[in-house]
Amino acid sequence: MSALQTVIDSTAPPVTGAQLEACEVTKRYGSRLVLDRACLSVEAGESVAIIGENGAGKSTLLRICAGLIRPDGGEVKVRGRVGYCPQQPGLFDLLSADEHLALLAPALGMRREAAMREGHELLAEFSFPIAERTQTRHLSGGARQKVNLALALLGSPTVLLLDEPYQGFDHGAYVSFWEHVARWTSLGMGVVVVTHLLADRDLVDRVVELRIPSIAAPESP
Amino acid sequence: MRLRRILIPALMTGRELARRGLALGLLTALPLAFYGASADHSDNAITTGGIAMAFSIAGASIFVAMTARPVDQRLILAGYRPWELLLGRLLLLELFGVVVAGIFSVVMVFGSSPSDPWLVAGGVGLVSLSSVPFGLAVGEIAPHELEGVLVLIGVVGVQLTLDSSQPISRLLPFWGAARLMDRAGDVVSTIGPAVPVDLLYAVALFVLAIYIMHRRSPTAIARPAHR
Repeated sequence: MSALQTVIDSTAPPVTGAQLEACEVTKRYGSRLVLDRACLSVEAGESVAIIGENGAGKSTLLRICAGLIRPDGGEVKVRGRVGYCPQQPGLFDLLSADEHLALLAPALGMRREAAMREGHELLAEFSFPIAERTQTRHLSGGARQKVNLALALLGSPTVLLLDEPYQGFDHGAYVSFWEHVARWTSLGMGVVVVTHLLADRDLVDRVVELRIPSIAAPESP
Repeated sequence: MRLRRILIPALMTGRELARRGLALGLLTALPLAFYGASADHSDNAITTGGIAMAFSIAGASIFVAMTARPVDQRLILAGYRPWELLLGRLLLLELFGVVVAGIFSVVMVFGSSPSDPWLVAGGVGLVSLSSVPFGLAVGEIAPHELEGVLVLIGVVGVQLTLDSSQPISRLLPFWGAARLMDRAGDVVSTIGPAVPVDLLYAVALFVLAIYIMHRRSPTAIARPAHR
C-alpha cells in the first residue's frame, strides 16, 4: 500500500492541466475496505461524474479529495482552491442564508458586501428567493440544498466537488443545475459530481465508476 | 481583516445562541434551583449555586461546539483557522457567562448575605471563565451530545459533591472557584492558589479544544490555498 501523501499545489496556473489528481487512494473503515486504489482526475474546464452502487465509496473519495478525511494510502493533488458541496447540507439551522454568506466572507478574503452580492447572484441563478430571511431549518430540502450549493461556489473555486448536489430539487432546478455545470466548466472550473442517476452520464465529459472493493479469494493450490 | 475572522464567527454564534431562548432560560434556571434548594439550610449554598452555574455556561458551550461541528469543516476548508473560530466562540460565550455570573452574584449576595460579597462575585466569575473552555473542549472531544452532557454532569456533579479541601477536588476544573466561594461562605479559612490554578486549567482546556479541532480539520489533512 502506498504511503499517505496529500499534496496541494496552489502556485500552479489555475486554468490549464489537471486541477485535481487522486491516485491509488485507499480507505478502510475498521476492517471494511471502502476504497481500493481508486483514481480520479479532473482537468480545468472538465466535468466528471462519479458513479457506483451504494457503498462503493463515492462520497468517501470526494471527502478525501476535499481534504476532509485522511486516506490510508494514495496521493491527492489539488491546484487552487476546492469548493465542496456535501450531501447533507452543512448549515447552521438557526442562521439565514445571508448570515451564512456573511460568515464565509472573511474566510474567503472577501468583503461582506462582495460576498452578499456574489452569493445573491448564485442563489438567484438557482431561483432561491433572495428576499427570504428565514432560518435555514425552516427552508425546504431543495432550498437548503441551493444554499449549500451557493456556499460551495462562493469565491469562485478552481475545483468544485459536488456530492449529489440536487437532492430535493424539482425538475426545473435539476435541469438548470446541469446548465450551470456547463457554464462553470466553460469558465475553466473543474467540476466533479457524485451521482447515482444514469441519465447524468450523458451530461458530463467523463464518467468514473467505482465498484465495491472485493476481498481477493485465496488462490487454490 | 484578521479581527473580522474572529468577530464574525463570534457574532454568528451570538445570533444562534440568542435564538435558543428557551434552552438558555432552562440552563439558567437549573443552577438557580440548586441554590434555591440549599439556601435555607446549607452552609455550602453559595458554592453549590455557583458551581452549578457551570451547568448553564458549559452546557451552552457544549451545545455551540457540537452544533457547529458539521459546519466547521466547511468553514476551515474555506479558509478559517480552527483557533479563529474557537476564539470567536470563546469571546461570545464569555460575554454570556458574564451576564449569567452577574445575575447569580446579585441573587446569592442578597440571598445569603456573605461576609465578603466580592469573593462571591470572584468565585462566580471564575466559574464563568472556566466553564466556556471546559464546554468547548468537551464539545470537541465527545462523539455526540449525549456523551458531552454526561461528561458535564459527571464533572460538575463530582465537583459539587466534593469538599474543596479534598485533594481530588484540586484535579477538577472548578476547584479554585469552589475555594473562593467556600471562603465567602466561611466554610474554609484560606484560598490558596485558587485563581491561578483555575486560570491555567482554563487555558489548557482551550488549547486542547483548538488541538482537537485542528486534528479533525482539513488544515491538518490537506492545506488548501488561501487568499
